[in-house]
Amino acid sequence: MTIEMAGVWKTFGEGHTAVHALRNVDLKGPQGELAVILGPSGSGKTTLLNLVGAIDNATEGRIEVGGIDLSTLDVDGQVKYRRENVGFVFQFFNLIPTLTALENVELVADLTADNGAARAEAVLAKVGLADRMHHFPAQLSGGEQQRVAIARALVKQPPILLCDEPTGELDFETGRMILKLLQDISREQDQTVLLVTHNAAIGAMGDRVLKLRSGEIVDDSRNTSPIDAGALTW
Amino acid sequence: MVKPLQRKLRRDIGRHKPQFIAITITIFLGVAIFGAAWDSYSNLVASYDQTAVDYRFANLTIVGGDTEAIADAARAEPDVESVETRTTVDVAFRIEDTKLLGRAVGIPPGDQPAVNRLDVSAGFYPANGDTAVVLVEDHMANHFDLVPGDSFDILIAEAWQEVSVGGVALSPEYIWPARDRQDIITTPDNFGVAFVSESLAEQITGTAPNEVVLYYTDGEANEELTTRLSSAARDLGATNVYTREEQPSNNALTEDVKGLEEMAVFFPMMFLAAAGLAAYVMISRLVHAQRPHIGTFLANGFTRRQVLRHYLGYGMLPGLVGSIPGALVGVLLARTITRLYTSILSIPLTVVDFYPATLIGAIAFGVIASLLAALAPALVASRILPAEAMRGETPSGGGRRSLVERLIPPLRRIPTAWRMTLRGVGRNPRRTIYTIIGVVLSLMLVLVSWGMIDTVRNLMDRQFIEIQREDATVFFAGPTATEDVAALVDIDGVAAAEPALTLPVALSANGEHYETALMVLPDDTTLHRFADVGGGWIDLPARGVVLGQATRGLFGIEVGDAVAMTLSEGMTVSAEVAAFVDEPLGTMAYVGRSYAETLAGTALPATSALVAYEEGVDAKALRNTVTALPQVAAFEDANVLYDLMQRFMVLFYAFVGVMLVFGGAMAFALIFNSMSVNIAERTREVATLLAVGTERRSISRYITAENMLVAAMGIPLGLIAGYFAASAAMSSFNSDLFTFRLHIQPTTYLLASLAILAVALISQVPGLRAIRRISIPKIVKERSA
Repeated sequence: MTIEMAGVWKTFGEGHTAVHALRNVDLKGPQGELAVILGPSGSGKTTLLNLVGAIDNATEGRIEVGGIDLSTLDVDGQVKYRRENVGFVFQFFNLIPTLTALENVELVADLTADNGAARAEAVLAKVGLADRMHHFPAQLSGGEQQRVAIARALVKQPPILLCDEPTGELDFETGRMILKLLQDISREQDQTVLLVTHNAAIGAMGDRVLKLRSGEIVDDSRNTSPIDAGALTW
Repeated sequence: MVKPLQRKLRRDIGRHKPQFIAITITIFLGVAIFGAAWDSYSNLVASYDQTAVDYRFANLTIVGGDTEAIADAARAEPDVESVETRTTVDVAFRIEDTKLLGRAVGIPPGDQPAVNRLDVSAGFYPANGDTAVVLVEDHMANHFDLVPGDSFDILIAEAWQEVSVGGVALSPEYIWPARDRQDIITTPDNFGVAFVSESLAEQITGTAPNEVVLYYTDGEANEELTTRLSSAARDLGATNVYTREEQPSNNALTEDVKGLEEMAVFFPMMFLAAAGLAAYVMISRLVHAQRPHIGTFLANGFTRRQVLRHYLGYGMLPGLVGSIPGALVGVLLARTITRLYTSILSIPLTVVDFYPATLIGAIAFGVIASLLAALAPALVASRILPAEAMRGETPSGGGRRSLVERLIPPLRRIPTAWRMTLRGVGRNPRRTIYTIIGVVLSLMLVLVSWGMIDTVRNLMDRQFIEIQREDATVFFAGPTATEDVAALVDIDGVAAAEPALTLPVALSANGEHYETALMVLPDDTTLHRFADVGGGWIDLPARGVVLGQATRGLFGIEVGDAVAMTLSEGMTVSAEVAAFVDEPLGTMAYVGRSYAETLAGTALPATSALVAYEEGVDAKALRNTVTALPQVAAFEDANVLYDLMQRFMVLFYAFVGVMLVFGGAMAFALIFNSMSVNIAERTREVATLLAVGTERRSISRYITAENMLVAAMGIPLGLIAGYFAASAAMSSFNSDLFTFRLHIQPTTYLLASLAILAVALISQVPGLRAIRRISIPKIVKERSA
């Protein structure tokens, strides 16, 4: 599924208090790739991700994902788009504390098709949580919680996986394990993954690396030989 | 260092404006009700007290016996300021076409009586020698439009004698126009009072004065003196002795005012408890959300006391803002209520005072309630460990399967979203409990109010339909033979007529006395039924006396024990108690005619007849036919009395309507706060669900279901608590004159429950609207959403 952004601006506030989170951003691709979006805090990484995920609207410009013009979507259209096309992985996991790992995934699986439980179990097994799926979030480690969040994002088999600082709350080892999982998913399923991070070292695992500064893409490069995430160090 | 905290306090409250407004309004209502009810109560008590002093309202009234000797004994007492003898007699009045059994009260000619003075509101006080000029009591004058110069007839020695209306008067004895303690509810068509010259009153009775009225020094109560004089009076043949407190009108009014006193405690307590709970839920949530800030404060040198004070401020502010205007409005409202009340009841004097203690107390109650609510979360805030607090948010509730899922395993297979709803109920047990308490309090408020209506309606139906089965009572001008009573059946429209003989009686047993009426009824009466105290109905026993159940406790007697009955003629007989009956109104004594005649040793006449109508009869025409009979002095239509009481119920409906609105407001405030916090606490979850593609209406549905489930959990508890609260409230009005047994209709429970659920549903609207405004990108990225 292709992502195309043309002349995209995102402005918060008005007048002299206006803040331009994105300035005239143009982007094409990256279909079936793992793209790492790098940049310091406030550079517009998350905003870019939110616009692609249709949880926020661009102030100006055009965003098209898989031929869908996001600017034309109303609220219900955005819901349908997110449901069918996008999986989110957040920095703070954002799991429902009253549901088990399986139920957290099942909740999303139920949105798109029947037999959600079986699909949820399969995805949890894939992320290595077959024996922890009946535990509640409070009973899981941070890494396990993030793996549940990834499983939740994957269970509806979205063409695009959007990951916002997925290792931000994790220690080095666990973070690297999560990145490896995301890289494997991208490679094995030819899945488009947009991974936002401020950690420059993570860029080395991406098929493509976008660098943002003050709302502008200042560098867009391809890694001819991305390194295995398991070998990352920082 | 303090000013920024104050600014923070103001801004925090500003950010949670609707929730704090809800708390403030609840405090306002509670404090206003307290101020209004308490000051009205104080004003009315003061009005009655002042009326009693200004009109020299008798401290003791003695009926029957050797009145001159009793008066002499009273005059010998230094603490008795005034003694007066007079004649009081129940006699037939004829005012145009209406015959009624009225009362003539003797007054001295030319000057006001020394005891029980009158307020002559129109006309003049009869001068010396004006024996045919009378003063008409206000209620009767109003009903029959009697003004000075009009005339009406009084039945004297079996002949109608015309008297002239000299004026209209208010009397402390008839502010509430009660015939006697057993006959408190009267209609102007069957009871009215005329103050006649003492000589005319004596002419009616044909005897010397039959009452002694005493006014103590400064009108002050004196229990010891009362006991001494009562005993002496009984020794001198008195058949009835009652104090100012027991005087029928005063007693009825005191019971009524007591309701205000209870209202001044019960209802504000409920509101302040609700406000306290709402404040607690809100402030607890704030403290939880502001843990990192609190940690920062403490880490930067704020003392724990400053933190404590800061969070107490969240209680103090709505407490003050709600209480001060609440107290002022309450105190001002009390003035209007007092004036309205005294004008409706025609109380001669209205005292409207300013009671600083009420104002201060009302404000203090409101502030203390909200401070207490803030205390627990404020203490939690002050005890937070800075390092721990700054580590980030604490989980807002751990996960586990809900109790209901554990009890009913198939529920584990319901859709995940609904499982989430079920578990949400137990997620924050304390908040769930407080919401449930809120529902319980609201239902209590509603059921206590509504229960009053149901109970009083049931009481009236039981008394006037089930027990007193007659359609009318016909009072005769003089003693009438039972055969003549039977002749009433020959009149078109009369289905049945039973002779009745009603006599004033003083009952005595175990050293206790109780004055009431003895009713002699046919052995096989069908127009009066007897409700057994154990439930069910009993026949009038062939032997012995049937007593109202209040005498059982008063005398400490049981069925089979003996009770002495002193009749007005001074005759005392002993009778065995055959049964106790459960009658909602009054505490009467009943005997069968055969047994009564055996005791008397002679055939007894009838003073009245109980009459049942034929179906479809024109009651007004029948009344005219019957009252035209020369031997008939008055006609009392039971249905008119019933209808009159139903009209009184309009006031009850208004009261309950207000309470329902208040209960709804209280439920709204509490449930709204609880629901808002519930939604606020899970903003991130909502945002996450939205981000993954869940529709907002689905999320709204889940949250609504969860909150409604919590509200529904409170319903059965609220119904039980409401039942007991209503039962306690009603039984507090119980006396020998009224037996209020709580009766709440099943539909009341249903409607009250539905009303609370509707309020719970409506109170979610603002929270659900907030879901629509949730900014997904903002929330999912925040550490502490």
